[in-house]
Amino acid sequence: MKKALIVFEKEWLELRLQRALLLATLFLPPLLTVVAIAVFVIIGVVPAAGGGGRGLPLIPELAGLSPTELGQVLVGRQFSVLFLLVPIFIPSVLASYAIVGEKRERTLEPVLATPIETWELLVGKALAALIPALAITLASAAVFVAGILVFAVSAQVRELVVTPGWVLAVLVDTPLLALIGVALIVVLSSRVNDPRTAQQISAVLVVPVLGLLFGQLAGVVVLGPGLALGIGVILAIIAAVALWVATRLFQREVILTRWR
Amino acid sequence: MAHAIETHGLTRRFDGRVAVEDLSIAIEAGTVFGFLGPNGAGKTTTVRMLAALIAPTDGDALVAGHALGVDDTALRRSVGILTEQPGLYDRLSARQNLRYFARLYDLEPPRADAQVERYLHLLELWERRDEPVGTFSKGMRQKLAIARALLHEPAVVFLDEPTAALDPEAARTVRDFVKGLRAEGRTIFLTTHNLPEADELCDNIGIFQRRLLRMGSPAELRAGLFGAGTIVRVVGDAARYVPVVRSLAFARDARAVGETLTVELDDPDTRNPDLVDALKAAGARIRYVERLQHSLEDVYMRLVGGHK
Repeated sequence: MKKALIVFEKEWLELRLQRALLLATLFLPPLLTVVAIAVFVIIGVVPAAGGGGRGLPLIPELAGLSPTELGQVLVGRQFSVLFLLVPIFIPSVLASYAIVGEKRERTLEPVLATPIETWELLVGKALAALIPALAITLASAAVFVAGILVFAVSAQVRELVVTPGWVLAVLVDTPLLALIGVALIVVLSSRVNDPRTAQQISAVLVVPVLGLLFGQLAGVVVLGPGLALGIGVILAIIAAVALWVATRLFQREVILTRWR
Repeated sequence: MAHAIETHGLTRRFDGRVAVEDLSIAIEAGTVFGFLGPNGAGKTTTVRMLAALIAPTDGDALVAGHALGVDDTALRRSVGILTEQPGLYDRLSARQNLRYFARLYDLEPPRADAQVERYLHLLELWERRDEPVGTFSKGMRQKLAIARALLHEPAVVFLDEPTAALDPEAARTVRDFVKGLRAEGRTIFLTTHNLPEADELCDNIGIFQRRLLRMGSPAELRAGLFGAGTIVRVVGDAARYVPVVRSLAFARDARAVGETLTVELDDPDTRNPDLVDALKAAGARIRYVERLQHSLEDVYMRLVGGHK
């Protein structure tokens, strides 16, 4: 494990030297958080048009909310789902540069010639993609929650935005999604030579999360603790399979003779 | 003398295509072994097998005292490799690049730093230690890659085309450095296309094209393929002396071009006085007598060309 940390250190050092990449990826969650809270606050202070007291008929749990409450809930929920998307996007970008980039620059062979085990190299690179992404996402999510708790116009809004299901999804499902994203990048690395291609293909992972977003907006899906844990179990199985395939492809022999 | 590298029937196939076939060699410790062959001959595959990067399909090998496939991590710790591409991290400085690899080679931080400093000084890169490697010239990058292969003081070093695409000055520095490594008692496995370089550096040479075609010291290879000979430069047309030389029992053949007479014979040191006497008796006025030297390129072309 010591060498995985050495790899992680080096990846982090390289990332710090790529200012544009760093800014483009790690500043996204804080930016989203600021925008989310700002919009949430504006909805809460600007007088609502209409003045009716009824929620959307399609979503029973929103019935009876004031227009201001309804606005805050809808905005809060839309932004809350973005915290499930970001941990897919950021590790995919970082891992694609860490693995496909290294393949393209032909820097892998000297590393593979050292006494490092391939799993240590893979873990080091995966950690370098996962840790910054999850840390910044969870920190931003915490700020988002604090913003909701402070600026919500009522306790009902707080309860409808910061639900146990959403908290569980952020804590359990997003790390798994990020892990799948990294494993997918490793799998793609054996075939593509451009980090951007790998990112574009791995973007397919956002589709299920978008389904969750639209399902929730339409009132078809309610992200409760049960659903969040159920999704977590499915994601854990997918992650295990994806990691198994990734480790099969991330072997000295395969990298040096099969990766093109 | 102990062997630093020994292979027995080493073979590697890729999807039915044979890249390396039945390679059996023994390389003495502390020598420079040149591994020559055309592009696609299987040299890099051989180096990768010996450095435990890929596994052989058949055969076995002992490298730096480690049997291939038994404890490959220990084997990798005992060898250094300069890969065909330098493979350096352009954004990191020379020092950061080396420090990363020193740590991967299990050097603890204080020793890693000391080794990095030592090799940056030795390869004249210390002044630019903190500059990004992306700003380095090709020669500097190659020197840095060589330093990387040596940080952990390996007993066996694989150098894959160390002077390829370098300017003459940088190539000279690298060659001098390789000589220094041999003087330290390291075993060098050198693949190169540069035949004069191989002639200059190598104690032994293997000429290889999927399989080993011939192996020996440069002198042995030349003598084994072409035999010995003498060149005599005379005043006037040398052709008139060809029948005289051919009549000598010890001369295997003679040919003339202009004023140059080339005589093939088995033991020039003993026979040259008799040859000169015979020519003088035939009225020849002799300008020079020289040993016939075939280049390693002649050897290589005959073996590789003949194999094709």
